[in-house]
Amino acid sequence: MHIEWLKIKRYTTFWILLGMYTVLLPFLNYGIANGTITLGGSGKNGINLLNMAYTFPEVWSNLGYWGSIFIIFPGILVIILVTNEFSYRTGRQNLIDGLTRTQALHSKALLVLLLSVYTTIHMWLMGIVFGGHYSGSLDKLYAQIQPIGSFFILSINYMGFAMLLGFMVSRSGLAVGLYILYALILEYIIKSEVNSYMDTPWGNLLPLQSSDELLPFPMIMMTKRLMEQANKISYQTFMAASVVWCSIYYISCRVLLQRRDW
Amino acid sequence: MSSTILSLKNLSRSYGKLKALNNVSFDVPAGSVFGILGPNGSGKTTLLGTVLGILRPDSGSFDWMGGIQQQDARRRIGALLETPNFYHYLSAYNNLEITASIRGRGADDRQRVLKLTGLAQRQHSKFSTYSLGMKQRLAIAATLLGQPEILVLDEPTNGLDPAGIAEIRELILQLHQQGLTIIIASHLLAEVERVCTHVAILKYGNLLVHGPVADTLRNEDEIELAAEDMEHLTAFLGTQQAIVSVQTVGSMLQVIPAHHVTPAHINELCANAGITLSHLALKRKSLETRFMELTT
Repeated sequence: MHIEWLKIKRYTTFWILLGMYTVLLPFLNYGIANGTITLGGSGKNGINLLNMAYTFPEVWSNLGYWGSIFIIFPGILVIILVTNEFSYRTGRQNLIDGLTRTQALHSKALLVLLLSVYTTIHMWLMGIVFGGHYSGSLDKLYAQIQPIGSFFILSINYMGFAMLLGFMVSRSGLAVGLYILYALILEYIIKSEVNSYMDTPWGNLLPLQSSDELLPFPMIMMTKRLMEQANKISYQTFMAASVVWCSIYYISCRVLLQRRDW
Repeated sequence: MSSTILSLKNLSRSYGKLKALNNVSFDVPAGSVFGILGPNGSGKTTLLGTVLGILRPDSGSFDWMGGIQQQDARRRIGALLETPNFYHYLSAYNNLEITASIRGRGADDRQRVLKLTGLAQRQHSKFSTYSLGMKQRLAIAATLLGQPEILVLDEPTNGLDPAGIAEIRELILQLHQQGLTIIIASHLLAEVERVCTHVAILKYGNLLVHGPVADTLRNEDEIELAAEDMEHLTAFLGTQQAIVSVQTVGSMLQVIPAHHVTPAHINELCANAGITLSHLALKRKSLETRFMELTT
């Protein structure tokens, strides 16, 4: 891990992208919280679908939902760090100099874990600031804080997926393209197809979607609660699916790196 | 020179239909400068990539230093494969820090190797600002970091100017004297000829010959001669047991002498037969000629 730190310590791209994530996510939430950013019409007569509570305990699911969209960016960061090792051929040199293939994977996997810890702590701090500001006190800080845990799993899922894609494709541009395409469009299409043709909700168990389901759009969550929809997959199942997917990423990377030429 | 540093046993590797290595076996003796030669695409880099753990062989095996753990072996080897591979956004000095921490030694050795390869002045510039030759120098510096026992150099003089090539040659000879084992893949035969004690020649993945340079090139000397009456000379030499073959090349005769036959001996033969030679020269067959013969 010390080696990984030497690699990113002076890597400007990394710090700029991470800085953007750190700064922009609170800004987005601030915009939503004070009503500057709206959906469903603007101006005084618009119906603002986004205008929701940033008080405890709802603040967690709100932050979690927006975080689940923003998490794509740290994922891109992971892809860049992984594919750099291929485009600079440094991964190969690292092996020549004495790293094992497993160590090469673990250094990146550990990076994913640490970045996930970072995004989670970042979210927790945002929760304290927003929740504290709009609630006026921190009394209910830990009430219904479950979305924070979900966000940690979601971070590992997205970045783990990015890591696998990086190792598989090994070319930066292509990997980033495929990642965004899959995360934003392709999975949505597959999910919808599976759900409608097979008339099941199983499409929601796809890799990234399984974690997205942990942090749904807050309004939908409320509606769902009201309607008590049948045919639902439980939170626990989504959580389990997410963990299974993360394990699959890890195992696939391991098998791939053991067999492959560098 | 009895112990073996690297031992290859029946290594094979294909890329689809192309056989890049076909059942290659040989040993690299400790303390040797071992040249691996071959035309472009003959499998030199595949061979080195395999023994460095980058490429997986289809079959066969290899042992470093009598079969120690491969990771330990790689840490004791300084290797440069094909291209200089470094983080573009880091300086030479910081890149070497990464190399040192992977090898587990050599962080305090950075100034020495940078000085040795003439990069001390530019050590804090980013790698991306380096010229091709400087990148190559840094790659060589990285191989020397932490005083490895073995060097594996794939085309070490790529991109270097003539002075740089000479410096590397000196460096290799010096390290050889210090007892390092050095494995060099190259197509610059003149360079190899000057520094190597052993060679292996590859073609289309097949090992053609291998062994000490002296043995591999033994018995390959030619003698060039000429006289007033060339026809007489040709006829005479054709009858002599000391001569294996006679061939007219331009205005000269090129003969391959039998074992241990010297130009002086031939001169004497001719003089005794009343032939005065106007030209007599020993041509040691160069590695290049030998290489061409073997690979074409």
